[in-house]
Amino acid sequence: MRFDKIWTVARKDISEFRTNRYIMFSLALMPLIMAIILPVAYLLPITTFMPDSPSTPLDLDLDPTSTIEGEAIINRTVNNTRFVDCELQGVVLNRCVVEASNLTTVAMTSSFMGNSTGEGMVIHHCNLLNNSLSNVAVSDSVRIGEESEEEALLIIFIDALLLFYVLVPAILPTVIASYSFVGEKTNKSLEPLLATPTTDMELLLGKGLSIFVPTMAVTWISLIPFVILVDLIAGPVLGYLPLPNLIWALGVFVLAPLFCLMAIFANVIVSSRVNDVRASQQIGSLIVLPLVVVFIVILLGLVTLNVLNMALFIGVIAFAVIGLLYVASKIFKREEILIRWK
Amino acid sequence: MIETIDLTRRFGEIVAVDSLNLRIDDGRVFGFLGPNGAGKTTTVRMLCCLINSTSGTAYINGMDTRDEPSRLKIRGMIGLLPETPGLYESLSAYRNLEFYAKLYGVPEGRRHQRIKELLTTLGVWDRREDAVGKFSKGMRQKIAIVRALVHEPEFLFLDEPTSGLDPQAAMTVRNYLLDLKKEGRTIFLNTHNLADAEKLCDTIGVLKSRLLDIGSPEGLARKFYGRTTVIHLTRVTDGMLNAVSSLPAVQEVRVVGNRMLVDMEDPEAGNPGIVSALVSQGAEVEFVNELKHGLEDVYLKLIEGS
Repeated sequence: MRFDKIWTVARKDISEFRTNRYIMFSLALMPLIMAIILPVAYLLPITTFMPDSPSTPLDLDLDPTSTIEGEAIINRTVNNTRFVDCELQGVVLNRCVVEASNLTTVAMTSSFMGNSTGEGMVIHHCNLLNNSLSNVAVSDSVRIGEESEEEALLIIFIDALLLFYVLVPAILPTVIASYSFVGEKTNKSLEPLLATPTTDMELLLGKGLSIFVPTMAVTWISLIPFVILVDLIAGPVLGYLPLPNLIWALGVFVLAPLFCLMAIFANVIVSSRVNDVRASQQIGSLIVLPLVVVFIVILLGLVTLNVLNMALFIGVIAFAVIGLLYVASKIFKREEILIRWK
Repeated sequence: MIETIDLTRRFGEIVAVDSLNLRIDDGRVFGFLGPNGAGKTTTVRMLCCLINSTSGTAYINGMDTRDEPSRLKIRGMIGLLPETPGLYESLSAYRNLEFYAKLYGVPEGRRHQRIKELLTTLGVWDRREDAVGKFSKGMRQKIAIVRALVHEPEFLFLDEPTSGLDPQAAMTVRNYLLDLKKEGRTIFLNTHNLADAEKLCDTIGVLKSRLLDIGSPEGLARKFYGRTTVIHLTRVTDGMLNAVSSLPAVQEVRVVGNRMLVDMEDPEAGNPGIVSALVSQGAEVEFVNELKHGLEDVYLKLIEGS
């Protein structure tokens, strides 16, 4: 394998793409939509109706005057007291600190409750940290270190944006590859190219590289305004900057290139069977369908996008890329191209 | 040297090339004639290592076209001009040629010089920065010829090099091919243009799946039509006819008007005797020449007879 031959083929194709208005328009438009229009149109309406930084603890200014430790308290009203390792039942608490206790049928206001369990409680204007609660009515309170439902929804939407984002490197190759491979056929420039002292794999990789480089360049460059916009929109609401993070890094720097390769090799296969640019684009665009399914599954909350799931997803796509490369390399042979390609 | 031994290529039930045996020595121009679908392009593709043979072998410079490492070397030694120029229309002529020069491994220092040399020879250097899409058919063909030559190949495969060109452009290309012939390049020419083949080729092969015949243009004509001397006289008499017919070198004599057509194996040896016999019968000989049968006659006879 000679990289200079691969790069020569890639550079020639990139030079050709630069003169193709449709390709240049697609390269400019897609990231514009993904990096600017989508976060604004998608996140802004959600964040507009959410309070800023709900995870910030309430300023309760608690100062318990006494501490009760290891006792059972039943049917009392207690103010300004610290409870540690207690059993509380039928109690009304105001401006208290409750730690490592079990609470049943308790009403609690302007207090802190941490590392405890609660059942059948009414909680108002409290800071909550690492509790196990059931049948609880909570209002105007902050679950410290936990996401609110709104925050969780916003995170799911940002994760869903990641999938939109990796769609770009899966869609753009469909546009470019249809010109790269089908264009060579319609131009009848394949035969002199195939007559050169290059191997089939060098030609395939050269053509693949010519699609990979502009696609990933555009994807990665547009990531900068995208991250800034998402952080500007979602940061004040979440109380922290959601991007970049590990999942996004894996998505953009590992999954997106894999999707790009998958789309390239899938388009080689498609291009071998059609001789019309539009037909190639239409069939090639089907590659995004599995991605759309994954997108819907995540948006519905059926699968959480965590590092493990992402690693599994990357593994599956990497396997698919290897499979498609194998098939594409079998199809991208001189004899096949000249005799069997339509 | 290009050599094929029982080279065969089938596409399913169809035998495109059937047991082709050829030997083209270095520096020769070989013309491959045949109707559409005769297997000429398939043969070229096999020789250029673009497709495999079903059976049989081909050797370029002693290297087997079926052997994978040799195929890469062979492709570096050949220049191919396909039937359609197949240039990158949005790129300039120079960029097109530079791209191929790089793929063929022309050293960077030599690349520009070689492209300039060839484009200047074919009169298109001034248009080097123009996109090929703006070029006329003739100019594209010239660029495609330059592309086939940019790496100074030992073997040149040309498929219909003058097809669709106006007479002036065709003449430019033809003259350039004659120059290449003088340079001693081995040229394999696929063509329907029999006049081109006759002017350019040392050897002609006529293919219709099978190789129907092979030889020099003159040799083929002689093979099918023998050699005929035409004697232009002021008048023809029976005495003259009998005198010529009785000569041992003469095979057959025909009279057309005041011309006597004499078939012979060896006109160089027989002509003096014929002229003497005619003069002795009182004939007035205006001039003597050989009846030429064109390649077209040979081609049609071969194809119709196949």
